[in-house]
Amino acid sequence: MDQAAFQTARRPRPDDLYAEAAAAFGAALERLARAYEADPEVRRDLLQEIHIALWRSFAGFDGRCSLRTWVYRVAHNASASHLVRQRRTKAGTLVGLEELASMPDGAEAESAADRRHTLGRLVEMIHRLEPLDRQVMLAYLEGMDAASIAEITGISSRNVATKIHRTKQLLARRFQEGELHGQ
Amino acid sequence: MANETARDDEMKNVWQSQEGEGLRMSLDEIRLKAEKQGRSIEWRNAREYIAAFAVVVFLGFSFFGTTDVLSRVGFGLVIASMLYIAWHLHRKGSRRRLPSDLGVADCLQFYRGELGRQRDLLQGVWRWYLGPVVPGLAVVMLALTRTNPGHLNHIVWVIAAYGAAIALVFLGVWRLNERAARRLQERIDALDALHG
Repeated sequence: MDQAAFQTARRPRPDDLYAEAAAAFGAALERLARAYEADPEVRRDLLQEIHIALWRSFAGFDGRCSLRTWVYRVAHNASASHLVRQRRTKAGTLVGLEELASMPDGAEAESAADRRHTLGRLVEMIHRLEPLDRQVMLAYLEGMDAASIAEITGISSRNVATKIHRTKQLLARRFQEGELHGQ
Repeated sequence: MANETARDDEMKNVWQSQEGEGLRMSLDEIRLKAEKQGRSIEWRNAREYIAAFAVVVFLGFSFFGTTDVLSRVGFGLVIASMLYIAWHLHRKGSRRRLPSDLGVADCLQFYRGELGRQRDLLQGVWRWYLGPVVPGLAVVMLALTRTNPGHLNHIVWVIAAYGAAIALVFLGVWRLNERAARRLQERIDALDALHG
């Protein structure tokens, strides 16, 4: 529904919008929370915080962007806020895609890998990324195209294309095809 | 090329097919948790006020424990500066509810805003944290030099050494905060470049 249609049609209730979003994106939000928080307990809290933020946000949803864009913006922004709060207490530095690509990966030599192992390494890699690069990589892994990623993140299309290219290079360097298939 | 596409698809598949806990919250649960979250933030704010009040009470004893007018002026100024710091921290600090318009701002805008808020807090540390305490401390030290309640032989030098130690600590705090603010500004500049 575009903005004009959204405004002329009977405006959906925030509760209905939330229910629709939770049903459509609930699993994706769980994956997103996993990409932002390693500790299972804290992750559960973060996921609840995202759901609450989402529910509250729908009072201001005017159809200017798609439901998916809105949901991902809310979820990423709530998670980035969580990350900023956590960085004050946790040591360690977050890096960009370029920097991460140039870092040695201790586990690269391992060959006996299954999907769980691959996922674990992928999550570990994502946890080291700066929020914006993390958001681009997550959206890419969720199967979004460059235009959708640009709309959610606010990064120009040209820069999104560059970041996707680097994401692909990084994944290629860290995960060999055989490893992915568990060979 | 075909290999690259197959690997990309496989990575996306690994990511999207991961097992989740299947968290589902009913609308009633959401409302209840939102209320609880609000109360928790209010309680945290209340604790900040209580801490500020405790410091004021402690300094109040010093204020009423002396008859020297200059000392009272000094302690009064320190109390005022503590109240100002507590108010500023409450207004600009991190303990706040997430804004309800989270979906309006794209990720770049929002993250830039968060970093900017932190930078302002660190950059203005002299204005809102260190600076306001200085007049009160200076007056208290001046009053101590004049009244010399401990009847020390070299009170001027003792107070001067005390003042120099405080100045060094303030300088250290200021420089650390300035450095952290500069780092944040570098990150903000890097984010700004992503717009173009």
